[in-house]
Amino acid sequence: MLKVDNLHVNVDHKEILKGVDLEVNPGEFHVVMGPNGSGKSTLALTIAGHPKYKVKGGKIILDGEEVTGLGPHERVRRGIMLAFQHPPEVEGVKIIEFLQQVLVELKGLDPVEAYDLIVEKAREFWFKEEDLHRFVNVGFSGGERKRLELLQAALIEPKLLILDEPDSGVDVDSLSLISRKIEELHRKGIAILLITHYGRILQHIDRESITVHVMKDGRIVRTGGGELVDRIDREGFAGIFGEVGA
Amino acid sequence: MTETITISDAKAIIENQIEELAKRNREPEWMTRIRYKALEAFEKAPLNDPVISEEELLRFIAKPEVEGIPENIESLDDLPPEMKALLDRLGISEVEQKYIAGLAVQTDTGVIYNQFLQEWAKKGLIVLPTEEAVRKYPDIVKEHFLKLFSVDESKLTAYHTAVWNGGIFLYVKEGLKVPFPLHLFFLIQESALAQAPHIIIIAEPNTEFHLIEGCTAPILVKHSLHLDMTEAYLHEGAKAQLTVLQNWPEYVHTRPMTRARDGKGARFINTTVGLGTGKSNVANPKYWVEENGYVELNGILLGQKDWFVDLGGEMYLRGKGAAGINASKSVIMDESTVITRGVIRAEAPKTKGHISCDALLLSDRATMETYPGLVSKVDDAELSHEAAIGKIRDEELFYLMSRGLDEEKATQLIVKGFLEPMLKDIPMEFLVEIRKIIELAVSGGM
Repeated sequence: MLKVDNLHVNVDHKEILKGVDLEVNPGEFHVVMGPNGSGKSTLALTIAGHPKYKVKGGKIILDGEEVTGLGPHERVRRGIMLAFQHPPEVEGVKIIEFLQQVLVELKGLDPVEAYDLIVEKAREFWFKEEDLHRFVNVGFSGGERKRLELLQAALIEPKLLILDEPDSGVDVDSLSLISRKIEELHRKGIAILLITHYGRILQHIDRESITVHVMKDGRIVRTGGGELVDRIDREGFAGIFGEVGA
Repeated sequence: MTETITISDAKAIIENQIEELAKRNREPEWMTRIRYKALEAFEKAPLNDPVISEEELLRFIAKPEVEGIPENIESLDDLPPEMKALLDRLGISEVEQKYIAGLAVQTDTGVIYNQFLQEWAKKGLIVLPTEEAVRKYPDIVKEHFLKLFSVDESKLTAYHTAVWNGGIFLYVKEGLKVPFPLHLFFLIQESALAQAPHIIIIAEPNTEFHLIEGCTAPILVKHSLHLDMTEAYLHEGAKAQLTVLQNWPEYVHTRPMTRARDGKGARFINTTVGLGTGKSNVANPKYWVEENGYVELNGILLGQKDWFVDLGGEMYLRGKGAAGINASKSVIMDESTVITRGVIRAEAPKTKGHISCDALLLSDRATMETYPGLVSKVDDAELSHEAAIGKIRDEELFYLMSRGLDEEKATQLIVKGFLEPMLKDIPMEFLVEIRKIIELAVSGGM
């Protein structure tokens, strides 16, 4: 489904990704780990189409079609959605109106249907109807922001959901909800590409079924199974980097 | 190309028009004398306009109408197909054809009322064309006509006063509270005269009402200069709202002149929604606020193309405890310029004033300037100002786009969110229309 082929990316004229290869097939669960600055978020934002991240070489292919040059809105329409690490505040724009418009445009719902669906789903993510009349992310805690990202994923139901550190800056209760919801989305057949530092977010995920990629300095230096997560939790990255000579 | 018009040519033209108006309106002599006095002042008065030159003004006086605008527009069906199509896109035909409660449509010299308004007339709500009020209530008009302006302030004030025509006289009897907004549209067609309506608002003590003035339809105007003048007198404890919706065609220069006297404990909320401000729009409304009175001037300004918008606003806090707010939100696109320069003068103890200016720049070629002025003559006034001029942040835009909205739709959503807190008191029918106009403007669809 998603194929990232020898991807080189510059940000502000500095090369951040130095040839990344990655393949995610329908319904698979991939985890990307790596120290700060290794290029994990750059990979996520580049796949989602952030204009600041300039592709200098390589391709991003979705379902056999190259999407490297497409705008972010066209990518999500084709099924790639990014849940942000730092969702920005959008002053003046109400969550409900924003999401209604998204569902009208993406799913062809009428606004009233969309409204009902959003309010119903929002409850599962601990948002009351009146919360949805707040402005997007304005004054939200870390947990609220990440829950709102997951709510949007549940509404949009992409083919591939990229989660950029859904566990950072989140309180314990929210973390548990988020972890469960990721598992739920995955069970519905959504492929997951999850970026994290810690294994805890994977508490509800079957370790046997996941593929783990370890990044360092703009490259994937090791790919393996779920056991890598526990190993990294125990020993940090040093051991793995030592083995691969990175 | 065009022949030169001299001041004396212009004066001769104005004089003819005064005679015509006096005859047409069967005008009492005192009013015609006011016109002549203004004509005399016209020559010596300063021009005081940042855009229109004296030459242009004189040319306009000689020939006020713009060529190529269709004749005889009596209903929306007479419009050229492309204009009609635009109106349909905006949904305007529906709104303006639907006679909402309290809708008074002003044509050349008549006000079309609906039955609802006629009922209210019995209770003491008088809505008349100003011309008719001059004949019917001479004493009241005499007492309130041109009392907040003087003719020799500028050539435009003098010219307006000499040839004013159209406009509305609104009188609300003591204690009367009007529960529905009064809508007023200008559909002035007579093109040989300048478009210079004169509006008089008199709110007796403890009255309440909301007047919505203006034309959201970008048509029905044949002139290149629109000079309206509004004088509002709010007596003790009155609560009045005046909302002006502007959507002028891009060839019109508009010079709205609004002034209000806000009596003891009176509350005046004056909102201007300048969606289509025309080629240029220069306004400097003034308010005199008495003891415990409150005035709010809200400006919503959309700068497009090469338009020039200059919104002033002076508040004189004259009575103890008087308060004033001057707030504007501007969205500035293309190569347009928006200037805001509010001034609040604290002249009495315990007065409060606040100026705020927020602007969203959508183009590198657009310009925003803001000059807040706070003047205090007392030591216990509270005066403050804040200004924020910014662009849409890339991160916001990317976030909205990453959920499927294209750049245009995402921008529209942010612009709407930026402006909407200030549109809170506008009835739904208009809000829907305003939103569409903003969307079209942002997408360059006008």
